[in-house]
Amino acid sequence: MHHSKLLARLALATALTGVAGTASAVEISFFRFFGDCQTDYGTVMKASEANGECGIITALTNQFNAENTIGAKVVTQTVDWGAYYDQLTATYSTGNIPDVAVMHSSVLPNFSDRDLLVPLADGFANVGIDTADFVPAALKNATTNDTLYALPYDLHALLFHVNVDLMAQAGFVNADGSIKLPTSPEELIAMGKEFKEKTGKFYIASESQSSEGMMVRLWESFMWQQGVDVLSADGKTASINTPEGEKAAALIKAIYDEGLANTALDYPGAEQAFLNGEAGILINGTWGVDNYDSQAKSGKAVLKNYAVANLPGIFGAPKVWADSHMWVMPKDEGRTPEETEAALAFIKFLNDNNFQWARTGHLSVRQSVIASPEFAALPHRSEYAATADNATALPVVQNQRAIFSAMITDLNAMWLTGTEPADALAAMQDGVDQILRRNR
Amino acid sequence: MSGGGASGGSPGRRAPGVAFLFLAPFLVIYAIFLVYPLFKGFWISLHDWELAGGYREYIGFLNYEDLWTDKLFWRTVRNTLYFVALTVPTMTLLALLLALAVHGTGRLRSILRSVFFMSSVFSVTVVTLVWSMVLSADQGLLVPLWHAIGIKPVNFLAHPTLAMPSIALATLWWGVGLPMALFLAALGQIPQELYEAAELDHASRWTVLRRITLPSIRHTLLLVVVLQIIGQFQIFGQAMLMTQGGPANKTKTMVQYIYDTGFRDWQVGYASAIAMALFLLMLGFSMLQLWLGRKGDEA
Repeated sequence: MHHSKLLARLALATALTGVAGTASAVEISFFRFFGDCQTDYGTVMKASEANGECGIITALTNQFNAENTIGAKVVTQTVDWGAYYDQLTATYSTGNIPDVAVMHSSVLPNFSDRDLLVPLADGFANVGIDTADFVPAALKNATTNDTLYALPYDLHALLFHVNVDLMAQAGFVNADGSIKLPTSPEELIAMGKEFKEKTGKFYIASESQSSEGMMVRLWESFMWQQGVDVLSADGKTASINTPEGEKAAALIKAIYDEGLANTALDYPGAEQAFLNGEAGILINGTWGVDNYDSQAKSGKAVLKNYAVANLPGIFGAPKVWADSHMWVMPKDEGRTPEETEAALAFIKFLNDNNFQWARTGHLSVRQSVIASPEFAALPHRSEYAATADNATALPVVQNQRAIFSAMITDLNAMWLTGTEPADALAAMQDGVDQILRRNR
Repeated sequence: MSGGGASGGSPGRRAPGVAFLFLAPFLVIYAIFLVYPLFKGFWISLHDWELAGGYREYIGFLNYEDLWTDKLFWRTVRNTLYFVALTVPTMTLLALLLALAVHGTGRLRSILRSVFFMSSVFSVTVVTLVWSMVLSADQGLLVPLWHAIGIKPVNFLAHPTLAMPSIALATLWWGVGLPMALFLAALGQIPQELYEAAELDHASRWTVLRRITLPSIRHTLLLVVVLQIIGQFQIFGQAMLMTQGGPANKTKTMVQYIYDTGFRDWQVGYASAIAMALFLLMLGFSMLQLWLGRKGDEA
């Protein structure tokens, strides 16, 4: 951590001595996940020429560094997604606190409740970020105890990514070209079996190991569809081991037990299986849309005919799990006014280019972007427009990462180790209760 | 380790101050990096102590009371003990066998010595990445093999009973170099005359091994076992990177629980309490080994 900063400074020092006389640069550190793609996008200076989360944020950073007139230079530090929050937390101890960092709205209360973030309302007003333009739900996500702590950047949700050719082969494409999707648990299993029979492929592909928890997101969606809130709004109780929970878990277990999905897939494995035309539906988030679309169009993937669908209302209302990426300024006593100015300028630049980020497949949080014709013209948008309305998030309570991990371990045990839904739910409830006890 | 008397051969006595002067660099580092953190860790474990944000509250032994009734904690203790039982004896035996096989002169032996030691230079990330690729049931190296013999690929790292042995296997491959090197050094120190005498007595190879080789390296054997116990109790990287503690916490180890509690959930006080429990466990097993070793010396 220290190292890269030092190296960056060295590089900067060399650059400065090289071009003597230029205005002194303000360097700010930028902490994020989304991956490292310097090889592909290190020299791309226009965000509009980049694809995917990693490409677009890298190009946006390059563009800001090239175009800003206040001499600001953003130095990116990429952290692997699994270790991101642990590392971000560690910076408060090491002192290398970043100036701008990405944060999920589900994690925000952990930081804001402990006074670890800079309130941003005044700064936004100074640089001209119009908070009234944000979708109200997004603004609410960025606010705790009536204080605005973040710039909401997207709303991301679970989707069905569909291989249309395989669906047609199974007879699941309607006359109007829309995809026929199940509307009940029984129908899901029946259609899955039929699909398997006619195509010889898996009906569903999804991350099924112990790392991403894609099925926990699906299970949570099924809970909301039945009108049950997994966590109470005060963050004190969880409704996991319930009849509704058991119905949802039983369906997920049945998907694997009936051989409709491959239990061996990890996250990249699931994406690969879908792109290789080995599965009809990939259950993954909005972040994949642009990537899969460009791969299908490139002709390099076996997948040729790609479509997107909202998560159907299998248990009732078509509610779907959602979260939100936001930009925050971690609190740092040592930050100079110039660094603060540069950080705010960068955040404003990101906000101005919210449309570029929306190209990844995420839902925009700016009303002006959503209303714009170019947003409507983005590929597949109309296919999952309803996701914005169906999106449901857990209440803003602390320790959601621990809660999420505890649920993954025991839910996934259903297909990895063969536990029964009732036992899995009892274990999930136990694990989550233990964490909730600590919530203050 | 070599428990013999001080054989410095120094003539007259010197002031004890001089001895301390020479010991000072070690003592200072030992105190700063081992003794102080140990007591600080214990002190933290008596608090509700958050990693970030500065929330601290003295709560006495509440963390330890929680620990006593924490099912996940006891599961991680069982998992860790299981892992230690899987790795320490096999690692020691394997290292000894390899050392016996590649000990001596010859080009092939010296090449093999380097080959067996080579895996130890990799970082845990590389090792786990390699083994995850080998063991993956989706794109793994073994998948064609399973297909060839017509069975469904085994998902080792997600298998409730095979996950931990898989991690142990990767650990063996990774860690066998150092104990092997220790055994090689010990083997090199056995006086050649003993073997010549044995040859004159027409002792069988088995007898030579049992009566000469093993007794001569038993201090090293003890060292290896104690080092292995201390090392393997702290298993973290392999499990964290290969299985994340899954499936269903079957491979969640004590250090991973400390990490999750301290760094993911910010409960440093509780994490320190777990760390103290781990310390006591390791101390107990190491003492037991040393005591058993000393008993052997007296006999």
